[in-house]
Amino acid sequence: MNKKAPSRIELMQGTLDLLILRTLLAGPSHGHAIAKHIQRASEDLLQVETGSLYPAVHRLEAKGWIGDSWDLSDKGKRARFYRLTALGRKQLVAEHSKWQAFSRAMGLILDPVEEGQ
Amino acid sequence: MKSFFRKLAWLTQRQAKEVELEEELQFHLQEEAGEREAQGLAGDAALQAAQRELGNLTLLKEDTRATWTWIFVEQFIQDIRYGLRAMAGNKAFTAMAILSLALGIGANTAIFSFMDSILLRSLPVPDPKSLVILSWHTPHRGMHGTNRHDNSYNDPNGGFVGGFFAYPAFELFRKNDSVFSTVFGYQGAGELNLSIRGHAELAETEYVSGDYFPGLGIPPAAGRLIGPDDDRAGAPATAVVSYALSQKRFGGPANAQGQSILINNHPFTVIGVAPPEFFGADPDSSPDVYVPLHANLLLSAQDYMASTYLDPYYDWVVPMARLRPGVTAKQAQAALAGPFYAWARTADPTRRAEDTPTLVVREGADGLDGLRRTYSKPLYVLLALVGLILAIACANIANLLLARAAARKREIALRLSLGAGRFRIIRQLLTESVLLAVLGGALGIAFAVWGIRFLTLLLANGSENFTLRAELNWHVLAVVAALSLFTGVLFGLTPALQSTHGDFVPALKELRTGVAGGRGLRRLGLSRILMVSQIGVTLLILVASGLFLRTLANLASIQLGFSREHVLTFQINARQAGYNDPEIVTFYDGLRTQLGAIPGVRGVSLSNHSLIGTGTSGTGVIVSGSGSERYDSSILTIGADFFSTMQVPILSGRAIDARDRSGSPMVAVVSEAFAKRSFGDRSPLGEHLGMGQECAQCIEIVGVAANTLYGNLKKPSPPTIYLPFAQGAWGPVQGMYYELRTVGDPLNYVNSVRDLVQRADQRLPLSNVKTQGAWIDQTINQEIAFARLTTAFALLALAIACIGLYGSMSYNVARRTSEIGIRMALGAQRHRVVWMVLREVILLAAAGLAIGVPAALTASKLVRSFLFGMQPNDPLALTGAAVTLLTAAILSGYLPARNASLIDPMISLRHE
Repeated sequence: MNKKAPSRIELMQGTLDLLILRTLLAGPSHGHAIAKHIQRASEDLLQVETGSLYPAVHRLEAKGWIGDSWDLSDKGKRARFYRLTALGRKQLVAEHSKWQAFSRAMGLILDPVEEGQ
Repeated sequence: MKSFFRKLAWLTQRQAKEVELEEELQFHLQEEAGEREAQGLAGDAALQAAQRELGNLTLLKEDTRATWTWIFVEQFIQDIRYGLRAMAGNKAFTAMAILSLALGIGANTAIFSFMDSILLRSLPVPDPKSLVILSWHTPHRGMHGTNRHDNSYNDPNGGFVGGFFAYPAFELFRKNDSVFSTVFGYQGAGELNLSIRGHAELAETEYVSGDYFPGLGIPPAAGRLIGPDDDRAGAPATAVVSYALSQKRFGGPANAQGQSILINNHPFTVIGVAPPEFFGADPDSSPDVYVPLHANLLLSAQDYMASTYLDPYYDWVVPMARLRPGVTAKQAQAALAGPFYAWARTADPTRRAEDTPTLVVREGADGLDGLRRTYSKPLYVLLALVGLILAIACANIANLLLARAAARKREIALRLSLGAGRFRIIRQLLTESVLLAVLGGALGIAFAVWGIRFLTLLLANGSENFTLRAELNWHVLAVVAALSLFTGVLFGLTPALQSTHGDFVPALKELRTGVAGGRGLRRLGLSRILMVSQIGVTLLILVASGLFLRTLANLASIQLGFSREHVLTFQINARQAGYNDPEIVTFYDGLRTQLGAIPGVRGVSLSNHSLIGTGTSGTGVIVSGSGSERYDSSILTIGADFFSTMQVPILSGRAIDARDRSGSPMVAVVSEAFAKRSFGDRSPLGEHLGMGQECAQCIEIVGVAANTLYGNLKKPSPPTIYLPFAQGAWGPVQGMYYELRTVGDPLNYVNSVRDLVQRADQRLPLSNVKTQGAWIDQTINQEIAFARLTTAFALLALAIACIGLYGSMSYNVARRTSEIGIRMALGAQRHRVVWMVLREVILLAAAGLAIGVPAALTASKLVRSFLFGMQPNDPLALTGAAVTLLTAAILSGYLPARNASLIDPMISLRHE
């Protein structure tokens, strides 16, 4: 995956946590699948470094926002699946609305003309 | 809180988590590879691409692990364990590093603690800053009166400073209350006979004015303290005892209050007890009993009379004062200088105007400074020496850490390449340095405690009432420990920063070729500089030790003129126990006869001083045939058998004997030096001498004794006159020292002597019971202490320096193993290899000596006043030190050199 991606965006500090939580809302998933989902869903604009992904996942688990279990993957191999906990769901809602407020605020300032819509 | 317990739980399941993480990451790799394969890459290439995408696996794991638990604590424990393992792997190195550091820290803390207690501590009273000391300054030395406190001295800036005043001057200060809120005075009474419930002992007594305790502002531990109403002629006789005495003799302060005691056979009532931490205003003394100033009329009638309180020419009160708020010592001096000068002019009109004393007011928070003047210079010298030792120890640590860092360059490079974080490695190296410093510091505390005890013993050296109380000073310890920590961190961190910086590939490639890069050479240079300076500094300490040892040897070989072996001395003062003339003489003589009857006692005599150690008497003497010229002469009053007991030969005439009693013709024996000075080659026998107006030439010289030292070990024997104590030509008989010449150890006779004196009169306590040898040692105790201490320091410094040299050379040899192997494979002889290594040691030592010798020559001038019978540039001390150092250096270099010569070329070459 070393193709040139000139329009790739650096993940902002703290946003990876939110993306992981949001990805897990759809159902349990293993690390590799989480990374791929974020990449695909963002139309390759966001690429998750493995070096950041696993520390982040383990950090979320340490906070109790996600849980883990070992299960068989769709290819029949043993893999570690992460899922959202109730605490994580609450966190996601809170982070999500915070993010929405933030991006709306950014939008209001950066594009004042389109305010009327 | 929840997360706390989860982390705690995880901490216990570490192993399992480790395996899970591994499996999880492996799964990720396979998924990624599978995806690549699906995109059309071949199996191997796909896996490689996946691995590249994953990046540094170790670092990733480390980062992930960091989220699990308190990674910091865990890594810290890990670092410490690793550090301890590394230390255990190099036991000799570690032990030496810790030991040298501990000795450095311990010695410094001990000496500093002493300095602090002597030089810096304030009196234990409220608001010590407002206390001032009053003294006078005159252009020439001159004192009239009585003073037992060490507060008069030659002013280093010229002139003479006296710290005691006539009572009228003291009253002048008291009246002047514009600058002082209180003025109080005191004076030592010396050791007086204190009798409590029939048991007599000697007690250090202090006369204090009525404002002494209120002025110092200390509260009583029991009862009340002496106040203005107690200090009047005719007031009831009252006394305050020290806390220690109240515990020792009354079983506690509460019981002491109200008790009756006898001081010099006069009844006194104990009205209260001083607080435990209070030791008087002079740190050099610690009185057991305080009595009002006016009690001196009762207790020290030989020195004080009622008229003394009016006499403007008899100085005796040591004054202190408390400044009013906002007034400085300078302002007080300015305010009082005028009135004092005017008073001093009228006090002694015969005195020339320029000789009139001027008033000096100084800060007095620390009390009198006699103790400080006596001990500050020796302590500074010791401090300089231990400071140098600390420097050597730190240089050792630095060298050691440098060598180790160089040796671990590859290890660090390897760890970096395997994904260790730079900060993590620095932290670990730092942990090791700090660990070393902490262990050294902990051991250093133990050494400090031990060192303080040792120093107290050494400085007191037999003196019974040594008042120096040094405690472990934590501030000092902290500073010294911080210094060693700083060294550890500095020399541990610098190479750590360097070796983790930049490209580590060259370091990885650099095998044990012994070809050091530029940076390595520079570091080697630093290590050489450290070694050379270590050797130079060690030489300084060795020279100091040599000088002090030679001084001690010179002192020990002094010809005394009498025999010091097997002589027991003790003092009693029958006058203090109530004896008067003439029965006091009868008592002393009777006791002499009884003592002579103790089996094993070969001779007994008595004198008003022992020949060395207890002081001297002296005055200007007129001799027949020389008009009114006065000769300065030392005087010793003695009993019968003095010369035979002390084994001083009589050169002509006769000795003083039992015939020379009160009423018989007045006689004297003079020393050879006296005879020579006063009569030249004439025989002094039959000539006369005299001391006062009423006895201009009333004493006949009946004998000449050989010269002996008297009073001062370091001065030639003074012209001395021996007078029979019984004839009272030298004033009323006071306390006397008995001398017993014994068979065998004199100390074996102490109990018989005590019993005998106790039976003779139980009111009479013995004091200063010691051998003549012990008296002599006590007068040179500073020299003895210095010789012992500096020898210990020198051995210490030598050991530390040798350890450093040995360690560095061993390390060098290890680094050059392959080079030496090649040399030997090419035909180098073993002795050539030994020489190659030794040559370096000798070069280093020579460089060290080249720096050390001039430094020692300069520095030794600073201790000139401590030396006896030699010059600071004493060639013997210097050569001795240099030879010792060179030998030690070669010895410590020989072992690594020998190891180098035993290198097997085949093995070392295969090592590549």
